[in-house]
Amino acid sequence: MKIFNSIQLRSSGPICQECAYFQNDPALIEQVYRGLTAMSSGFASVRDQDGFCLCHQLYLSARDSCPSFVPAAGQVH
Amino acid sequence: MTTTNSEIAGIDQPSAWREFWSKEDWWSVWLGLGIIILAYVFYLAGSSISWIAVAPTKWSTLSQLATQFSTNAIRYLSLLGAFLILFTIVISFIGQKPKAFIPAFIFVFILSTIIYASGNWDQASRYNLEPPLVALILGLIISNVIGLPRCLDAGFRVEFYIKLGIVLLGATLPFTLIIWAGPVAILQASIVSLVTFFAIFFTARKLGLDHRLAAVLGAGGAVCGVSASIAVAGAVRARKEDPPIAISLVVFWAIIFIFALPLVSRAIHLPTGVGGAWIGTSEFADAAGLAAAQSYGGLAGKGLGISGTADQALASYTLIKVIGRDIWIGIWAFVLALIAVTVWERSETNSKVQVGQIWGRFPKFVIGFLVASALTTLIVHGNTLGDYNKLVKPALITPITSLRTWAFTFSFLSIGLTTRFRELANAGIKPFLAFTAGVIMNVILGYILSVIVFGHYWSSIVTH
Repeated sequence: MKIFNSIQLRSSGPICQECAYFQNDPALIEQVYRGLTAMSSGFASVRDQDGFCLCHQLYLSARDSCPSFVPAAGQVH
Repeated sequence: MTTTNSEIAGIDQPSAWREFWSKEDWWSVWLGLGIIILAYVFYLAGSSISWIAVAPTKWSTLSQLATQFSTNAIRYLSLLGAFLILFTIVISFIGQKPKAFIPAFIFVFILSTIIYASGNWDQASRYNLEPPLVALILGLIISNVIGLPRCLDAGFRVEFYIKLGIVLLGATLPFTLIIWAGPVAILQASIVSLVTFFAIFFTARKLGLDHRLAAVLGAGGAVCGVSASIAVAGAVRARKEDPPIAISLVVFWAIIFIFALPLVSRAIHLPTGVGGAWIGTSEFADAAGLAAAQSYGGLAGKGLGISGTADQALASYTLIKVIGRDIWIGIWAFVLALIAVTVWERSETNSKVQVGQIWGRFPKFVIGFLVASALTTLIVHGNTLGDYNKLVKPALITPITSLRTWAFTFSFLSIGLTTRFRELANAGIKPFLAFTAGVIMNVILGYILSVIVFGHYWSSIVTH
């Protein structure tokens, strides 16, 4: 079943969190998404660890991954 | 693969433990429960925190008001100092700058004191000076007409203040009420959430919008406003420009509904419990809805033909919004993420969905709300109604209620101060039409369920 194959308990392999293209500083998110703080927050639990992918111009989970992964400075793989 | 460092510019490292001190949700739990425990310790010692939980009382002339403030000046300064110390600790831990926060919060506190006092003027209801609405309008005027330096935004933490207020609200609601009314709240909210989501989603798709934008808009209208939109955006891997579209639409409609829902409820004389339930079903964001519910509850007993109590409006609102809608955001995000990778596909990322996000995105302040309710129910248990009204209420419950009102006022004012209409993204006509379709569906269905189907239920909820 495709659906069950798509579910993971935890990430394996390099994830966006460790990628040079990924940015998820809550203050940055609030700065970029003007109006977010009016009725929500960059520091809210619902936002989990999501952030920007500067490579694909997406807003996604820190636990995602993709073939364009580039280790961020300080990450050793 | 080995990860060797934990501090990388622009990257917030995930850690199960770090969440406890890096998220506003958890801090609202620590602070809220801390205040309740402290209040209980004082109560056990035969004292009360009421000295520091000072609040304006009824007044009819300016000289009376001036006397109130001059007599209690040291108490107000102590309250400001206590808030400053606690909130500055929070701000430092989550990574904000205390230097920017402190002057901004003093500004918020001073304005909130004026708003709180204005609501206690004996002529306030005659001029419709409902504190939540006054706070919102004042904030909107200051931010959109006068303008404030951007650095002051550090003190306008709408979400943190509202979550702290909701945890404190838990301490004033019996746990039995949550058990009794929770299932109805979940049923009512689930029906409206699903219908609203599908109305927005399919209208958006019909208009040619992308699946992901349609889901982000749908969640914003159906679950918990901006917070739901941003959560689902991350879960479905939305385009970077999608969330601001949803933010603009949610803020636009939420601000309208803060005024419109209490106004309509008042015109048709809904009991406060029913009005609160309708607001909880049809408002989008927690803070916006609480402003509307508190404003409507404040009209009870003022000769306007509105039955019930102010607490009933807050209780029914919170049950529907928090228990019925907010706590399901993780499930929504997970299911939509699964649909995104299995049905909509996107080649840029891998095709796996983490189950952990159900807990990761859970609004943790709800835990504080539930624990606070259970805790005070246990404390109060065993007291007769007479003892409760004579001893427990003035020494324990009233000071907590007063601090809750302060937190809510900070939040309502901050909504206005952070809503700068010219900065909101231009949503475009198609997203606007799709979202509005859901808004119409939501408000009609919300009315039918809150007033016609479950009206008898919400009008009779017991909050003490």
